[in-house]
Amino acid sequence: MTTPPDTPVQSSEHNFESDVRPGDRRGSPIPTYAMIATRFMELRKRRGLMIALIMVFIGIPTIFLTIRLLAHAFDPHSYGPAGGSSVFGTTVVILFSFGFIVAATLGCTAGAVDLTEGVFRHLVVTGRSRVALYLARIPAGLAIIVPLVAVGFTIVCAVCVFAAPTKLSFDGTNVPIGLSKTGFVSWAESHPDQVVCDFPYNFNGSLNLNVPCGPNGHIIKVTTSRGFTPRPAPSKAQLDAAAGKIAEQNYKEYSQTFLTPSLSLMVEAGLWIELEAALGFVVGLGLASLMGQRTVPVVLMILLEVILTPLLTRVQIPHLIDGQRALVGLAMSHIEPSALPAVSGIHGGQNGVSLLTESTTVAVVVIVGWVVVWTALGVWRMATRDA
Amino acid sequence: MSGAVLDKVSRRKAADSPWAVETHGLTKRFGESVAVNSVDLRVPRGCAFGYLGPNGAGKTTLIRVLLGLTRADAGTMSLLGYAVPRHRDLALARVGAIVDEPRFHGHLTGRQNLQILAAAREPAARGRIESALDRVGLSHRADDRVTKYSMGMRQRLGVAACLLGDPQLLILDEPMNGLDPAGMHDMREMIQSFVAEGRTVVLSSHLLDEVERTCDAVAIVDRGKVIRQGPITELLAGTSIEVEIDCSTPEAANTLLAGSSHGQVTVTEQGLAIALAAGRIAMPSPRSIESS
Repeated sequence: MTTPPDTPVQSSEHNFESDVRPGDRRGSPIPTYAMIATRFMELRKRRGLMIALIMVFIGIPTIFLTIRLLAHAFDPHSYGPAGGSSVFGTTVVILFSFGFIVAATLGCTAGAVDLTEGVFRHLVVTGRSRVALYLARIPAGLAIIVPLVAVGFTIVCAVCVFAAPTKLSFDGTNVPIGLSKTGFVSWAESHPDQVVCDFPYNFNGSLNLNVPCGPNGHIIKVTTSRGFTPRPAPSKAQLDAAAGKIAEQNYKEYSQTFLTPSLSLMVEAGLWIELEAALGFVVGLGLASLMGQRTVPVVLMILLEVILTPLLTRVQIPHLIDGQRALVGLAMSHIEPSALPAVSGIHGGQNGVSLLTESTTVAVVVIVGWVVVWTALGVWRMATRDA
Repeated sequence: MSGAVLDKVSRRKAADSPWAVETHGLTKRFGESVAVNSVDLRVPRGCAFGYLGPNGAGKTTLIRVLLGLTRADAGTMSLLGYAVPRHRDLALARVGAIVDEPRFHGHLTGRQNLQILAAAREPAARGRIESALDRVGLSHRADDRVTKYSMGMRQRLGVAACLLGDPQLLILDEPMNGLDPAGMHDMREMIQSFVAEGRTVVLSSHLLDEVERTCDAVAIVDRGKVIRQGPITELLAGTSIEVEIDCSTPEAANTLLAGSSHGQVTVTEQGLAIALAAGRIAMPSPRSIESS
């Protein structure tokens, strides 16, 4: 056994690296690419979590649409087409709401596992900035969520476009889709009975066809005008002309009723879902980092999405309205793509359900605020926590 | 002076420091309890240094304070000459440590866990993964999940993680815990090989025998306070053991002991303080003093 020296002993057998090497920005709050890549790997290797994410973002819409495709293929009279705008709206709702929850679960996992699995202290001992350790998780988590949402949403869009119905049921009459105004008028003139009987019109009395209708939009007989004076039935030319006029009056509504989601709607809806999922991840990450555990934050995020948001976006509570407006779910509802149908039912969108009012500017500020505040809280707790 | 110049100065000063670890009055409290009590510690570079004390003595807390895992309430400290926490990033660049039992992501392999830790260090650390695994004898199990590792293998993986930074200072907290005799032997040899390379190893343990076998110097800690420290040979010889004896006539007792070989005797207000000579464990019999 040797006696310890009183002066420094540097062995000649091993040449130590200099204390800090080029490229080692250890104190920088900016995470390195390697940190992000390894954090991505750590999350991606969590099999159970990945299965849940894939199931929600890809599996559920795929299964739902596949069942609809098969049902329509085997029994088209009982089951409508698998695609189209209404199906698009329904699947967007599923991706939107469940996507937030599973993304939040991933965020909570990323925010807590280093602590719960005892690895945090190993990372701190490297001397790396704790801020960088935290921030590395954000791009790593988003690198998992964004592609999954994109794949699931692409499947939805593809089915909704390619399996959309080829005829539009417009006020009880099947009308071909995608007609121009001329085409729509031309089609109306070739189907005057259905147009005259089924389409709404208002010409302030200038159009008096006197054509009582029977079932399925067919004119059944000639009767009297205003019930007193017998009048002859309109000629075919008169009916065709009337149908054309009615079609012109209805074209605006026809053109706004779409069967396949437009490209712009699909892009907007896709970005909207991506933003919701990213929000869920970032908020979950901050909350779990703040609390130092995973389970309770996951439960809180589910409560926020499933109970608190639907309730507080619909009810006006005196003296608390401004607080309600700070809900991220309300803000997300207010920036919902305006042409998106059917979202109102679950999450409180613009259509059908009365929501608390909020300007788009306020909505954007609320969303940015949630990202900044939760990230700041997560960073602060990570930087000050005993490892 | 610019920040870059200050950095250069602090690095030069750090390199000149003879101490791998140096603390002055380091204190850490948890409420009313004092876990680390005004510790003054000096660990010379290039040796194996034991931090010895019973369970609950504050060994792990001191290590956690040194590494910046928790904050000190008072005192100053430096690692490899760098003041901590001010230059914590510079200091820890060449420090490897195991605190408590080494824990890893169980769903990842040993190699993947090291990749995560290497990514948090400098770019060159990634290139040291294979050599570190080889050094601790885990190369053949590096692609197994950590959940399948035994306690001893996890300890070795912890040491491999320490080596990623090519450390000048290794701080190992109870590294023998959970190891079988063969594992303890391997760990001991590994520590000695690190010292032979010029690295400094600080080893905390509650096992006197283990520290005696492995270390060159030791600090003994009890209830958060370092009660003795120095080269282990001197401590085992007992040169600095001081015994206080109360007696009614200290001067007379001192005169009686003046010609004896019991050690250096000092007269105090209450009696005598006797510093025992090196290697002596026999004390003067109180009865012999009384009879005089």
